[in-house]
Amino acid sequence: MATARLRSGSQGAALSRLRDSKHGNRILVALVFLVLIIFPLFRDPLDNFVDDMILALAYVVMALGLNIVVGFAGLLDLGYVAFYAFGAYTIGWFGSDHFAFINNEKGIHIFSGEFVSSTPGIHLNFLLILVVAAAICAVVGVIIGTPTLRLRGDYIAIVTLAFGEIIYRFAVNGDSIEFAKNYKLTNGRQAISPIDQIDLPFFKEFDSAFTIRPFYWFVLSLVALVLFCNFRLRDSRLGRAWIAIREDEVAAASMGVPLVKTKLMAYAAGAAFGGMAGAFLGSYLTSVNANNFQFGFSIFVLAMIILGGLGSIWGVVVGAVMLSFINSYFIPDVFNSIPRDLGLDFDLTQLSFGIFGFLILIVMVLRPEGLIPERRRKLEFREGLGETEGIGTEEEVRRVTA
Amino acid sequence: MRYRRLAASGCAVAVLSLGAAACGGDSGSSGGSGGANELTIYSSLPLQGTARGQSLAVIDGEKLALEDAGSKVGKIKLKYESLDDSTAQNPGTADEGQTAQNARKAVRDQSTILYLGEFNSGGTKVSLPVLNKAGIPQISPSNTYGGLTTDEPGAEPGEPDKYYPTGKRTYARVVPRDKIQGAALVSVMKDDGCQTATLWDDKTTYGAGLARNIEGAAKTAGLKIENRQGTDRNSPNYRSIASQVKSDCFVWAGVTGENGVQVFKDVAAAAPQAKLYGPDGVTEEAFTNPAKGGVPADVGKRIKLTVATLGTEELPQAAEVVDRFKTKYKVQSVDPYAIYGYETMSLGLDALKRSQAKLGGDIKAARQAVVDAIFATKDRKSVIGTYSIDKNGDTTLTDYGLYVIKKGLPTFDSKIAASAAAQ
Amino acid sequence: MASESVTRTPTPVRASGADAVRSWFSKYGLIILLAALPIYYGIKDLSDDGNLVRLGDNLVDGLSNGAIYALIALGYTLVYGIIELINFAHGDVFMIGTLVAFGLWGTIGLTLATGTLGIVFGLLAALVVAMAVCGVLNVMIERVAYRPLRGAPKLAPLITAVGMSFILQNVGILWIGASQRAVPDLIHAQQQLFSPLGLSISRGDVLAVVATIPLVMLLTTFVSTTRLGKAMRATAQDPDAARLMGINVDTTIALTFLLGGMLAGAAGLIFLVYQTTVWYFSGFIAGLIAFTAAVMGGIGNLQGAVLGGFIIGIIQQLAENRIGAEWTEAVVFAYLIIIMVFRPQGLLGEQTREAG
Repeated sequence: MATARLRSGSQGAALSRLRDSKHGNRILVALVFLVLIIFPLFRDPLDNFVDDMILALAYVVMALGLNIVVGFAGLLDLGYVAFYAFGAYTIGWFGSDHFAFINNEKGIHIFSGEFVSSTPGIHLNFLLILVVAAAICAVVGVIIGTPTLRLRGDYIAIVTLAFGEIIYRFAVNGDSIEFAKNYKLTNGRQAISPIDQIDLPFFKEFDSAFTIRPFYWFVLSLVALVLFCNFRLRDSRLGRAWIAIREDEVAAASMGVPLVKTKLMAYAAGAAFGGMAGAFLGSYLTSVNANNFQFGFSIFVLAMIILGGLGSIWGVVVGAVMLSFINSYFIPDVFNSIPRDLGLDFDLTQLSFGIFGFLILIVMVLRPEGLIPERRRKLEFREGLGETEGIGTEEEVRRVTA
Repeated sequence: MRYRRLAASGCAVAVLSLGAAACGGDSGSSGGSGGANELTIYSSLPLQGTARGQSLAVIDGEKLALEDAGSKVGKIKLKYESLDDSTAQNPGTADEGQTAQNARKAVRDQSTILYLGEFNSGGTKVSLPVLNKAGIPQISPSNTYGGLTTDEPGAEPGEPDKYYPTGKRTYARVVPRDKIQGAALVSVMKDDGCQTATLWDDKTTYGAGLARNIEGAAKTAGLKIENRQGTDRNSPNYRSIASQVKSDCFVWAGVTGENGVQVFKDVAAAAPQAKLYGPDGVTEEAFTNPAKGGVPADVGKRIKLTVATLGTEELPQAAEVVDRFKTKYKVQSVDPYAIYGYETMSLGLDALKRSQAKLGGDIKAARQAVVDAIFATKDRKSVIGTYSIDKNGDTTLTDYGLYVIKKGLPTFDSKIAASAAAQ
Repeated sequence: MASESVTRTPTPVRASGADAVRSWFSKYGLIILLAALPIYYGIKDLSDDGNLVRLGDNLVDGLSNGAIYALIALGYTLVYGIIELINFAHGDVFMIGTLVAFGLWGTIGLTLATGTLGIVFGLLAALVVAMAVCGVLNVMIERVAYRPLRGAPKLAPLITAVGMSFILQNVGILWIGASQRAVPDLIHAQQQLFSPLGLSISRGDVLAVVATIPLVMLLTTFVSTTRLGKAMRATAQDPDAARLMGINVDTTIALTFLLGGMLAGAAGLIFLVYQTTVWYFSGFIAGLIAFTAAVMGGIGNLQGAVLGGFIIGIIQQLAENRIGAEWTEAVVFAYLIIIMVFRPQGLLGEQTREAG
């Protein structure tokens, strides 16, 4: 950076000063957000691309949540889908007609939208549901985290994975679990639908059959909020405690970091974000289907944060957007239509899995630290501050010792 | 700091470039392409995973019907576009997000006049409310879940109205709903002398719904249902639960893709004396043909299947279509769903013909005219029989065919009389 | 400061109540827990039927299913012991093994009509081929996907393994399509072979156990007696020291993957004969359960993997038969969580290198 400053002339100097300053960064980010905010206005109200963006942004929220657990605190969580499930079922229970028999079939309505103001079931306002989802998921996060407190690394992975699978089972079989007459736990694979659309005060109620732009702006604001929270958390005492635990638990403990509380806070925070994203997706997809809560989802989100750069907030955002787009836009729409465009009769849809896996493989082999690695790690790599975590190959050893 | 800048500009570049790419590559975009004399028919089916075979059969049938009509109605050209409602993450069935996207695509397109789909009842639950709001007529080739059109027992509270937010019906189907199939299965079982029956389902909308219908019909007919279980397709085998099957008869409400072959194999081995029954979800070659990975021949001999098509002896008009299908697509046997696909498109085309007058004008009025025409269908002679569409969108056909497995193919055996239980 | 520490008398460390409970439970409670289900259902059977036949059948089925899981779990545990990687692609290597065996049957014309001798030789040939192909496949995967990442953060190869898993699954889809496919039941796996004490032991059960035991014993002998096996154990314990002693770590790791792959291939053939079904997704699920078994037994520990496999097989069968097939996974994973809480190092304790 210093050389850049020396090389440029006076005009260049001003520019590079701008570039290197914190304000320069902020302006760039603001510009990007501006573009993101106005671009749907140039697209059709029901556009496919906006739809893909909405999904990508929801995944960004999820990825940021998981980043807190895995990236900041270093707790390998393979059961993140549990929080997605709880967030989605929160809106499934409290924002649909799933409990149709409550209150003598008149339903309970708290600030709910006008479309559902007279339908049976529990209908809370979406903002209330967001809060409830975050709270429920935080509690679930603590419950899941507690057994893992004394485990090391990969064992945490297996326990969280186990929890994720158990919750998936309950989701699928929930249609035969009735905790009171006619009150089923979930609707299993037959899905709870339709889920209420979002109704915010001062705004018209959303309706995804007519325009999906309001959903897009809502999730964009959610992303902005979550990003803000993440930055504040990372730079706070708690965030530093997480990073301390990740780097060396024993040293952290001896410096006075309360291990139990810190770890549980990590789970709770990560879970809360996952729950909020889950509730949003439940409303956007208008249904909550147990099929979506399989182990593959946890891996998907984990891949996003590792691809993007573990622990790095912007890296995670980029990773999430990238993977989400590869999955929902690039492979189905672009890749699969290549043969058709070239006039061939070959069908690439059968290769979707493999292409996805191949892309993951390539990115990881070429850039294992992630697209935008966390600054600390990058320093370690470049300046060799940390020891290699793996055991290295013969070649590397020869290179080092020669 | 450089990284944040890099990240931010990377984000911006990625978003903008994708946006630019999307602008260009978005086929079938809005804007009334083709003007007033070209309309679009969309078909939405799961093209990935275990359902691919049946979906392709439906598409072939639909395309054949469209070709037979010359791909036009009057002076209006018809464009056919096939959409996939499954995803790589969720193959073999309708994925909610993708289905919603397909429905929205149809809504965006101002030239959409008809939507043929979904294949899975669970998918229609998502697309129907969207299409209903846009007034687009929808016909399904295969949905059998009762709650989509009626509130008879077996449906959940709030159904079917929650799928019709405008209050008006815009959805019809060419296959009888599962209340009838449930009754048909039960009547076959009773005729075969079953006193008790084990009933399992695959826990999907279709399977669980059909199982409820079977239970209802069994209660009326006096057939005792025991050992109610749900099966999960990820289980490697079902021997453990199969060993508890002690009834005379066994019936599984599910589709082949939910590991139907393994279910029947294990039950056949564990209960050598039981008679085996399956619904239309398994009446396809992937299930019946051992050479294609279906049940082995000795198990196939014991299975009886029900599906809402009758053999070509009962329906001579079907024979001609079946032959043409075989010639055009060079296949030896015609999957029943190909016939459904053919009839779905034919019904749609017939409705279009009857509402020809309105087709060239305002698209909203055109769509409404087509909806009205569909619901006004009376005594239509078709390849699956003569039927009308009732006010719920259901077909008045209640004929179910009893099929057995011969040489690995589902073969028509006899017609199942619409028993009193069906009413 | 120094004076403070000198004058303060050290307080004796007294185990708190919770710790005492935990250590007691860790020793005996686990055995009680694992035996709880069989004992409970045994009592129930005695009162319902008057004999333990149903329980016995469950145990027999559990052992045969468990044998297959044990073979796959060994592969997981070998790899984890040496490079501390959860190889998510391992289950899919097993799946490829089933496909290779199935393909070979078709190629050499094994059908239900083939004579007994033909079937025996055909199966042996399929076993050898499946083991060879899967072993080589595993080595290639290591070379392509994991070796470049040896110096990378720990989680990177995990995701690469996932990518590899997807690729292998796609190979499966292209090979046999996306639906489950039944295969000819060559040895009539369900036919009862003999029934001691009223239990029904089918051919498939016998095959599964009879094929697994020699393989496991061969592996254990190899690892404990041969030079290469010693090299494997040395590398697992401390790779740098192993290098100092002249062991070529790269080759040793490749060898480990080869062995793991061969076991997965063998498991694939046994699975094929036992289950008579192939499916592109079967590897993912079997892999998940086998990995659970490996961890339950103590990851890095060979005997632990085998023990874990059998235990999980039994729990799975008991849950399926008594509680309901839909709850099997939940029960298995609940067991896992409890074991992890009270005995984090697994049943037989782990034998990986010191946590670094």
